[in-house]
Amino acid sequence: MKNPILPLLCMFCLFLLGCDEGTATNAEAETIAGDAGYQVGDTATDFKLKNVDGKMVSMADYKDAKGFIVTFTCNTCPFSKAYEDRIIALHKKYAPKGYPVVAINPNDVKESRKDSYEHMQERAKEKNFPFPYLHDETQEIAKAYGATRTPHLYIVQKQQDGQFKVAYIGAIDDNSRDAQEVQKKYAETALGELLANKPVSQASTKAIGCTIKWRES
Amino acid sequence: MLYQRFHHANFVVKLFQAVNLLLTIRIGFIATIFCFIGLYAQAQQVKVVKFGELQKLRTSNTDTLYVVNFWATWCGPCIKELPYFEAVNKQYRNQPVRVVLVSMDAVQDLKKVKAFMQKRKLASDVWLLNETDANSWIDSLEPKWSGAIPATMLFNNRRKQYHFVEKELKESELQALVKRFKP
Repeated sequence: MKNPILPLLCMFCLFLLGCDEGTATNAEAETIAGDAGYQVGDTATDFKLKNVDGKMVSMADYKDAKGFIVTFTCNTCPFSKAYEDRIIALHKKYAPKGYPVVAINPNDVKESRKDSYEHMQERAKEKNFPFPYLHDETQEIAKAYGATRTPHLYIVQKQQDGQFKVAYIGAIDDNSRDAQEVQKKYAETALGELLANKPVSQASTKAIGCTIKWRES
Repeated sequence: MLYQRFHHANFVVKLFQAVNLLLTIRIGFIATIFCFIGLYAQAQQVKVVKFGELQKLRTSNTDTLYVVNFWATWCGPCIKELPYFEAVNKQYRNQPVRVVLVSMDAVQDLKKVKAFMQKRKLASDVWLLNETDANSWIDSLEPKWSGAIPATMLFNNRRKQYHFVEKELKESELQALVKRFKP
C-alpha cells in the first residue's frame, strides 16, 4: 500500500533539517577567487598570453579545436610537478581528438621567483612540453576563471558561435601522489563524455593543491 | 674455620654487591623508561587520521574554539604562517582554544612530517589526514573550499560559530579571528 503522507513527511523533516543547518552554522567563508570565477556552464573568456617561445597564444588561434584543457599550473608546486607527465599524456591523447592542453602559469614572480618567464622557458624545455605554456603575468585570466590552486583544470568546449563553454572544473585524477594508484581519471572521463556528446557526469571535482601565489595588493 | 667464615662473609658481601648492582641497573632501566615516557608525552606525535576523525572534530559539541589549519611540508605559504598558529596555541594554552594542524602530506611522507615537527618544535596537535582523493571529502567539510592550501577553519559548535578562510593569514588577521571567537 502506498502512503502519500510518508514522502511528504520525509520532505518536511528534510526541510526542517535544512532550516536548522542554515541558522545553526552561522557560516562565513573568505576565499580569494572562489566565488568570483566560472561555474560549469559559464562562457569562458579567451586570452592572449605569451608562450615560452615568445609568441602570443589565444584559443581562437586553433581553428580545428573542439575545445581545450586549460590547465593552471606552475614550475614550483610539488603537485604540479607530480602531474607534469600526466598533463603531457593528456595532451598527447586528446589533442588529436580536438582537445589540446593549454597550460597557464599564473604565479606572481615576486612571490615565487622560480615561476618567472625565464624559468618557465627552462622547465618547458626540460620536460619538452608538447603544448603551449603561457605566462599570465597580470593574473587576470586566473582571476577571471576563478582558479585558486595549481594544478587546476578547466575543460572548455567550443560552441557553434565560437564561444567557449566551461564543461569541467577540477582535478586530473584522484591521486596526486602516485599515478600508478589512480582509481578515478576525472578529466579523462569528462573528455570521453564530451567527445561522445554525452553530458559530463562529474563536471566538478576538488583536489588539494598549492595556492596560486597572488600579487600583494 | 676462621678462614672459612671469612670466606663465607666475603661471598655474602659479593652476593650483596651483585644484587645491589642488578638493582641499580634495574632502577636505572626503569628510570630510563620513565624518562622516555616523559619525553614521549612532551614531544607531540603526528596523529594519522581518516576523514571521519576530522568530521568528528568539526561536529564536536564542546564550548571550545577549534582553530584547524590545513598545511603541508611542501607548502611554502603554509610554513610561513605556522608560527602564528603556534603562538595562538601557546597564548591560549589555559583557555578553551585548541589548535589542530592538519597536514595534507601523503601518508608515505609521515617520517618527513615527524622530522619537520621535531625540527620546528611544534607544540600544537598535528594530524596527518590519510586520504588520497580530496574530492571524496572536501565538499562534506566545506563546499566553498577549492582545495588550495593554506586554508583555516575556526569553529565553536556550542556557540554556533564558524569561519573559513582559504588564504595565507597574516599574524594580525589570525589574532583578530581568535579574539573574535574565543569563548
